[in-house]
Amino acid sequence: MAHDNHDDLSKHVKTYMKIGGWLIFFTFVTVGLSFVELPTHGDNLLVGMALAAFKATLVGLIFMHLNHERSLIYKVLLFTLVFVVGLFVLIYLSGQNPLHFGGFEGVTPGH
Amino acid sequence: MEIPYTRTNRPDTGLFNAKIGIWLFLASEVMLFGGLFSSYIFLRVGADYHWPVHELTLWPGFVNTIVLIVSSVTVVMAWANLKMRKIAQYKLCMWVTIICAGVFMCLKAYEYNGKFHHIGVKLTDGTILTGHFPEEGYRVKLKGGSTVTLNLQTADPAYFLKWCVTPNPQFKTEAGQPQPLDQQGALMAFIDALVPGDHDSSSLGQLRRDAAAKDQKSVKLTATAPLEFAVKESKTFSHTATSITFRDGTVVEGASVEDKMTLQVDKVDVRSSLDEDKALAWHYLGDEWKKAFEEHSKEEAESHKKFDPRDERYLRHVKQMEIHAPTVAEHNTQHGGKHSAEAHAPGEEHAAGGHAAHYPEIVIDRKDVAFWSSFTPKWNTYYAIYFTLTGLHGMHVVAGALVLFYFLVFDGRRLKEDPEHLANRVEVGGLFWHFVDLVWIFLFPLLYLL
Repeated sequence: MAHDNHDDLSKHVKTYMKIGGWLIFFTFVTVGLSFVELPTHGDNLLVGMALAAFKATLVGLIFMHLNHERSLIYKVLLFTLVFVVGLFVLIYLSGQNPLHFGGFEGVTPGH
Repeated sequence: MEIPYTRTNRPDTGLFNAKIGIWLFLASEVMLFGGLFSSYIFLRVGADYHWPVHELTLWPGFVNTIVLIVSSVTVVMAWANLKMRKIAQYKLCMWVTIICAGVFMCLKAYEYNGKFHHIGVKLTDGTILTGHFPEEGYRVKLKGGSTVTLNLQTADPAYFLKWCVTPNPQFKTEAGQPQPLDQQGALMAFIDALVPGDHDSSSLGQLRRDAAAKDQKSVKLTATAPLEFAVKESKTFSHTATSITFRDGTVVEGASVEDKMTLQVDKVDVRSSLDEDKALAWHYLGDEWKKAFEEHSKEEAESHKKFDPRDERYLRHVKQMEIHAPTVAEHNTQHGGKHSAEAHAPGEEHAAGGHAAHYPEIVIDRKDVAFWSSFTPKWNTYYAIYFTLTGLHGMHVVAGALVLFYFLVFDGRRLKEDPEHLANRVEVGGLFWHFVDLVWIFLFPLLYLL
């Protein structure tokens, strides 16, 4: 943390409380929107996850001080992010059919 | 040995060592939960049943979300106050954080308890009924029990006695003398007499060795009066119309075996029924409930007519009905005062009259039940991933709270002599705590809302 100054910290305490309030507000919004039936349930999922991602970003940036950290931490997180994205890509690949087999050319059953 | 860079930052990284450590740990945690979240997606996409949406009782999850957000604010405020040497405020914020963790875990325990006692029954036609068993649970009952055959190599003599509901059961010896068998010691002495040998009656192992040496496979006990048994299904291996075989190989024979399941029904779900009009549920619940269901379906279909009838949301509203009262008349008057039985733990609001006072009670032939379970991982993959994710998250809450508790209560000397070092420790503990909050931010909508 770069801000060890007493006045800076006092200001930050107010910011923390404000962000906490916003997080609670967005929790109410998330719950409310889950009862609004959008054209598809996928839309509900998208909105819900977008709100969750926004809330998580607030926690990361403000509470975990990622808005002003040392570069080493960003490098560690970037490295992790690559692997997490890889994990989710694997799910996508599981929907493909890599074992699709068209049969041997010229071979007919019984021969 | 003095650990370097606990107060000041390393010149090359610009960070104190513990901070690098916690971020590396959090990176591994991101991978762990990332793997579990991808499992959630995999299970959801591949589910061959109607994935539960809005099935969990909302308020405990909602309150826990607020509680974790508050605790995230207080833990970062505790760190800031310690940096500013406002010790009283630091302590207050830390206590609030720890209390929040306690509240979170209490609510989690309340939720889990409700699921352990809530039962789902899938009938052979695909209809699902949910509810609660009466207080004694579901039991396979044997009446007129006359003989017990104990396999001397596998049976535990006390095993079958636990499920005998006749008080003071007595068996005849070969000489015809009645022998009370109300405790393991007496039973062992009795069997001991039936297996010749110079063994100690308190040792089951010796008895087995003696029986094996004499090639004696079993002993048969004859009851002096008819016995009754009520056995938990999981304790039986199989049963016929007149006998029950226990999991330890003991066979009890009698006049008749009754295998019926009493269920206090709180929801009917016909989404997977072969023919909802002739669903087995109506055979047990009766025509009045069927009519109530049809009216409910009609109302819901009207208010959800914008949906395609194949849409999962249409089916969720139209093809399921929660039951709120023991009779149709009461159910109709209470309509609107919906409450999910899902989180109700026995012994709370149902203490006076049990669940039977709130829901219709039916007796189902076991042959009509394809599968049953409490709302645990056995029920379906949704509950499997629910318990995995929330259980692991709960363990993180406990671990984080213990670390913060240690800093607050047992690190008093450091607070006086080296508060800057303690502030760094609290910052690191706080970073872990925020991560716990961050995971819950995703878990709450995925499990409770969407």
